[in-house]
Parts: sequence; C-alpha cells; structure tokens
Amino acid sequence: MMTMSDRMKQLMRGRRAALAELVVAGTLAVTQPAWALDPKLVDSARKEGEVTWYTTLVVGQIVRPMIAAFEAKYPGIKVNYVPAPWQETALRLSNEARAGSVKGDLFDGGITFYPLNQAGLVDRFMPDAAKDFPPEFKDPTGLWTANIIQIATPSINTDQVPGKDTPQSLEDLLDPRWAGKMAWTDSPSASGPPGFIGNVLMSMGTGKGMAFLERLAKQRIANIPAIQRVVLDQNISGQYPLVLCIYNYHAVISAAQGAPVKWLKLSPILTFGTFGLMKNSPHPNAARLFVEFNLSDEGQRIYAKAGYIPASPGVPATEADLKPDAGHYKARIMSPVEFQEHEAEWTLIYKRLFQ
Amino acid sequence: MPEVARLPLPMPQARRTWSRALRLPPGGIAGYVLAAIIALLVLPPLFVLVRTSLTEVTAGMGQGAFTLQNYVLLVTSRNLGTMVFNSVAFAACATIVSLLFGGLLAWLVERTDVPLKGLAYLTTIISLGTPYILYVSAWLFLFGRAGPFNDLYRMYVDPSVTLINVNSLGGMIAIEGFLWSPLVFLMLSSAFRAANAEMEEAARVAGASILETVWKVSLRLAMPAILALALFVFIRNLEAFEVPALVGMPGRVDVLTTEIYRSVKSMPPQLGYASAFSVVMLALVAVLLFFYGRLSKRAERFASITGKGYRPRPFRLGRARIPAACIIVFNFVVVLGLPLAAVVWMALMPFVRPMRWAALPFASLKNFTSVVSSPYYFGLGVNTLLVAAGTATAAMLLTVGGGWIAARRRAGGTLIDQLVTMPLVFPGLVLGVALLEIALQLPIPIYGTLWLIGLAFLIRYMPYGMRYTYTGVLQIHPELEQAAGVAGATTFETLRRIVGPLLWPAIASGWLFIFLIAAKEMSLPLLLAGPNSQTVAVAMFDLWSNGQGGEVSALGLLWAALMTIFASALYVILRRQSAATFGD
Repeated sequence: MMTMSDRMKQLMRGRRAALAELVVAGTLAVTQPAWALDPKLVDSARKEGEVTWYTTLVVGQIVRPMIAAFEAKYPGIKVNYVPAPWQETALRLSNEARAGSVKGDLFDGGITFYPLNQAGLVDRFMPDAAKDFPPEFKDPTGLWTANIIQIATPSINTDQVPGKDTPQSLEDLLDPRWAGKMAWTDSPSASGPPGFIGNVLMSMGTGKGMAFLERLAKQRIANIPAIQRVVLDQNISGQYPLVLCIYNYHAVISAAQGAPVKWLKLSPILTFGTFGLMKNSPHPNAARLFVEFNLSDEGQRIYAKAGYIPASPGVPATEADLKPDAGHYKARIMSPVEFQEHEAEWTLIYKRLFQ
Repeated sequence: MPEVARLPLPMPQARRTWSRALRLPPGGIAGYVLAAIIALLVLPPLFVLVRTSLTEVTAGMGQGAFTLQNYVLLVTSRNLGTMVFNSVAFAACATIVSLLFGGLLAWLVERTDVPLKGLAYLTTIISLGTPYILYVSAWLFLFGRAGPFNDLYRMYVDPSVTLINVNSLGGMIAIEGFLWSPLVFLMLSSAFRAANAEMEEAARVAGASILETVWKVSLRLAMPAILALALFVFIRNLEAFEVPALVGMPGRVDVLTTEIYRSVKSMPPQLGYASAFSVVMLALVAVLLFFYGRLSKRAERFASITGKGYRPRPFRLGRARIPAACIIVFNFVVVLGLPLAAVVWMALMPFVRPMRWAALPFASLKNFTSVVSSPYYFGLGVNTLLVAAGTATAAMLLTVGGGWIAARRRAGGTLIDQLVTMPLVFPGLVLGVALLEIALQLPIPIYGTLWLIGLAFLIRYMPYGMRYTYTGVLQIHPELEQAAGVAGATTFETLRRIVGPLLWPAIASGWLFIFLIAAKEMSLPLLLAGPNSQTVAVAMFDLWSNGQGGEVSALGLLWAALMTIFASALYVILRRQSAATFGD
C-alpha cells in the first residue's frame, strides 16, 4: 500500500505552483473559482433556494463559518443545518428515507456513510473540486469524498511521562509500566479500536499481530464510552498518562493553549471525514454546489483555519506538521472501502480481547 | 331506581339528583377517557419497542426478518450471573443512598425546625438544573486518579497508591445515588409537608425519643409513599445506561445494561437487544406494580390529611438542631458543593487540569465571555424554556387526574398506572426512533419541530409526574372527598376544590422536577431537533464533542443559574399558594 507521505509528495509537486499563484491572486480567489464549476449547477441550486445539511462537525468552529462563507458567495441559497453525532444522523436519515420523506440533502462524518450506504441510500456524485484529490481520498464511483483527514495516533501527558519513557514503537506499549494506565475510545470506527487492530494485523501480519494484540489486551486498556476528544481530555487531566487513537490536531490545539500533551508518531492511521449525498433529496443541486464549495481551496482553507486538517492536497493544515508529508512521517491510509471489508472481523477481535 | 323516579320531588332536590347522576360513579368514564389519552401517547412507541425487539437489524438499519435472537442473547450473554448480581447490587444500593439522603433531608426540612432549610432547597434545585454530563464528569474528575482527593493522598500519605477508584461498583452506586437523591427529596418533601404532626406529637408526649418517634410513627406513616418511591427509583436504576457506561465501563464493571449500551453504540446501531431488555423490564415492572397495588389497597390507613382539625406543626428538635443542620450542610457539600466546585474549576481553565494552586494563574473568564457574547445561545435558551415548561404543564395536567384515579383505585386506575409507568423503561434512543417514525407518518407536520420534542418529553417524563401526584393523593384521606360528595359536589368539583389545593405541594414539586430535568435532557433533542428547534442541550453536546469542556462548563453553569432563578421564583409563588391551604 502506498503511504500518505509518498502519495502526497507526488501530488504536491504539481500543486505547489498552483498554490503559489492562488496566494498571489489573494482576493481574486473569492470571485473567481479556482476550479471549473458548471454554471448550470449554480442556476439549478439557486432555483432550489435552500439546502439542509446534517452535520457531525462542530457548529461554532466550522459549521457556521462555512455556511456564512457559502451564503456570502451564493446569495439566495440558504443552508439549514442539523447538528448531531453520527449515530443520530444515520438513524434519522434512514427513517426519513424509509418513510419516503427525505429532509436532509447531505451528511458528513467519519462513520455516518457506512450504514447509510449499506442501506442503499447514498447518491453518487464526483465533485469537480476534488479531481486533484489523491484517489484514496474519494470513492471511484462517487459515493463519498473526503472533506477532512483525521490522523488517529497515541498521545502522552508530558507532565507524567518523561521523555525517556515515551513509547517509540508498538512493542513499547507492552511495557508493564503502562498496565492499567492506558485508555482509548470505544468508537466502532477506523479511527477507534477496530482501526487500531486492523493496522496492527496489516503491518505485523496476522500471526504476529494477534500475538501482539493478546499481550496488549493484558495491559487492560480502559474503554472510554466517548469520542476521541473526550479521551484526550482525560489524558490532559492526568487520568490516563498514555492514550491511543486520538486525533493529532486536537492534541495540537490543546498544546497551543498550554496543555501538557504531545501526540506521538507511532503507527498513525489516516482516516477520513467524508461528505455524502442522499438519494431522492429535496435539494440535490444545492447540495452538490455546497459540497463543491466545501472541497474547493476556499472551503478547505476554512477547515484549516478552524483547526482541522484539510483533505485537499493543495491546502496545508494551519500547523503544517500535522499532515504526513509536511510532518515527515508515514501514516497508513485506512479507506472506507478497506475498513468496511474488515470491520466485522476487527470489531470481533476488539470485543473478544479488549471488552 | 323506578321508585325514586316516581316521587314528586321539589326542584332543588331534583337538581341534586341530577348532579349525583352526573357525578361519575366509582367505575366512571373519566378514568377510561384518561387511560385512552395516555394509551394514545404510550402504545405507539410500545408497539415500535416490541417490534424492534423481535426483528433483525439489517446492515442498512432496515427491518429484517422476525427473530427471537435478541431474547436469546439476553439469557446467554457471557458472565450473566455476575452482571445480574452487579445490576441488582447497583440498583438496590443506589436506591438506598438516594432514599437515605433525600428522605432524611426531606423529613428534616418539612417536619422539623432545623435551620438552613433554604440551603436544602437550593441544593436540590441547582443540582437538578445542572446538565447531566457536567455532573457526572465532575464526579469522575473529583474522584479520578488525577482528582484532588487522590492527589492529596499521594502528596501527603503514599505517593504510589491511588486511594479511590471511582470506576468501580462503589463509585457507580455513589454517583447514581447522589444523582437521584434530589428527586427523592422533592417527592418526599411534598409527602412530609402534608403529614399530620399530631401522631408524632402524641408519641413524644408518651415519652418516645426523637429516633423512636421517627422510626415508629413518621416513617410508618410515609411507608406507602416511600415504598412506591423506592420501587420507582430501583426500576430506574436497574435500567440506567449512563452511569454504568460512563463510570463502570472504563473500570470493566459490567451490569446488564452495559452490553446493551455497547450494542446500541455499535455500527449499525443494534436497537433490538436494548428493546428486548426493555420488554423484559416492562414485564417485571408490571409484576412489581401488581404487588405494590395490593399493598397500597389499604393505603388510607396511612393517610394523614384527614377531616379533623388539620394543621401540621414542625417537630421541635431541641439540641438536635445542630447535628441536623450538619446533615443539611453535608448534603449541600456532597450533592452540590463538590461537583459544582469541579465544574467551576473546569469553566475557569483553558483545558482540564488537576486542581492545584500552581494552575490558578491560568484561570480566566474567557469561557464565560464567549458564551455570553454569542447570540446563538439566546434562541436556543428560549426554545428550551418553552419546551420544558410546556412539557411540565402537560405532564402534570395528565397525571393529577391519573394519580388520583390510580391512588383511589377507581375504575381504570390500575390500567392508567401501568400505562403511565411504561415509558420509564423505554431506552431513550428507542423512544426517539419510534417518534421519528410516527412523526414522519403523521399528517400533521410536527417532524423536526419543538412539538415533537415536547411530545417525546411528555411521554418520557409522565411517569415522574405520576409518582408525585400518586404519592400526594395517598396522603389525603378519602373521607374529605366523601364529605364533598355528600355535600353534593361532582367529582370534578371535588378534584378542583378539595383534592387540587391539598395536592398543590406535590403538583408544584412534580412540575419543577419535570421542568428542570427536561430542560437539560440531551439524548432526545439530539435525535429529534430540526434546523429551527434546537435546544441548549444540543449546543452543549456540540461543544462537548469538540473538547470545549471549559465552555460547556461555563454554559452549563450559566444555564443552571438561570434555571435556579426561574425555579426559585416559581417555588416561592407555589409555596405561597400551598401556605394558604396548609399554613406556613
């Protein structure tokens, strides 16, 4: 498998010149889209007049700034949003579809896509704005496209863990000093324990990987029934000196505020937040236009500004080191297709060994 | 009665006969009408619950084939014995903690001349107004490995030992117990408030000590109320998901609901297993209510509001006032002071950190100012207040009638009691999904509106309203109603002019409880809110999931402060109302 680092280097070479131009052009980018956008799409979207976005993203941080920028650029198209975790979002959309009355036009999230796609509710769309995205960042048939990347990796509390004790490899996690001192989320996702287990099995091979996991299970990792961010908070507060499967950008945001936390480049996994469109939705064109805007360099910069890692290879993260290429580290890409293929098997191992 | 019809009666008497005929007979229609309304609310979600428990979940969250697998899983889960033991121990001990704490406090405040009564009410109101996730995470923070208690122990006693492990059965019991003691306090305080002091005074005159009097008279008098309440809290604890998940799961203390929590959170969500558990719980609740019903058949023996010169007087504690005041202070510290201090600490810090002097220079009001300066929260606050007040009012209207019919064992009473209690064991997510389905099929467009959230809240919180009114009615001796009946009052008049005023403390407490708990409820709005019907809880979850713990704490504190002002104002008004009936 090609790692993120190789892939990005290859792409970046071509993109850097374009990016420099964009920076020079400055405000021009606001009025002249940098990607070829079908004018008919804008017209049809205007006729629909609104779009409803079911979002798992954070309202204050990204949802409202994104909507404000979109509405300023396309006056007359109102964006309604309904914020909820992935599970509520998926349940709600599947119920709407079953009742033949879809209200949400599009959704996002790291997990939302899987159950909705299995139910056959997701519409295909290949955004122009993502045509330069690495092929791993989008579905070849247009079922999903990444809007952000999420690097799942361990972090330590720097007050509690001296530099010399910092784990350097997965094997170091087996050190007796970490017994009962580690935690991770119980999220059933590629960026949670199932993804971690998959990464171990793929990088070590099944036999060696299983032996490692069985020994790791003896360390009694605490399963925190909450999302990655809450687990990181418990790392910062000192409840657990070492946590696994947190997002590196969260650690960077907190460290910038003075929190004693450092993320480790220890077998990181690259996962995605993705956009998907609903079949039979009331505003399909406005939804497409909104996705195009989110994935354009202009939209991606709004993500970067909010602290997220943009999926677009042309837009760096605010803290450039967060991305594998700029941070000089390798991350295993765990695509939705790959995860979906193995999810049941890895989840079973998680349940059997770690719960 | 043909003879009566033939008698040539003067007009006034004829009118009275009419009014008697209008007065609903013991097997009145009112009970069935009310039962029908409640059934309309409860049965559709119940249908969805049973159906969900009997169908497979397909990969695409659709409804699969009929299956009994969910029930089979219930009895074949690994470590079933341990889980059942843990569940029962957890539910029973937490119930005892709540009853001891809340009950003792209620008795002191309502029946004695203990000082600091206001503090007890304030503790209750603020702790009920504080959002759940804040409350539980405050406890986890306080007693966690990095919390101040373990910190102090390590600093001064043994640096290698973690004294308290909050992620244990004990931690779960304590947190769940404290969480529900305000409910017990509110419920029993309305019961004690309406209790007759004559018997207590008679016992004292006969030479009984305070403890003897409480044990042999006060407690016995309130026994039906206490038992009903204990049963209610026990059931609620048995089906509680949150504390077992948040507190128990990291420490690997599994109860029956832990596995259910996991199945609901898996991908795609497996609601069938959770529903099967709830169906079994429903059956259990029905059996328990049946036995409870037999017990309370003789409840009027315990009624203390009788037709005789009625005037409750506070019980003089004498020298015991000081230790009694200490109990109130202790309750304040444990139920409110400590968790609140932790929440304030989190709100003042830019990120969660241990409570140390060294961290103080980092304190700032930044989180508060960012909440106050965001106009976004204002609209959410209005939505939340509207839906919470509406829910509380509707629930109390329904359950005043329901509680009276059930407590008086009128026709339809048992049915009403069973129906109203059912939602208590509906898992929040299953109730939410049922309402999604129903709203999407209704011809009235309530999907995504505040009305739908209100409807969900009404179904969810009716059982609580019912416990307040039911307990309240048990205190009132039927002789008062019989007297009204003899004087020619219709059932409605009796309810309005006799039962209603005597029931005010219970109604007020119930309204307040539902209002406060609905205003902070998180799971249903997350599933049901539309673009224009979001509530404060949705915003809180949003901040929470972004790790803005400080801002959540600030928002939660400001929200709890607002709730406290609202609730206190309301309580003062209602107490004046009830003072007119009971004396102050």
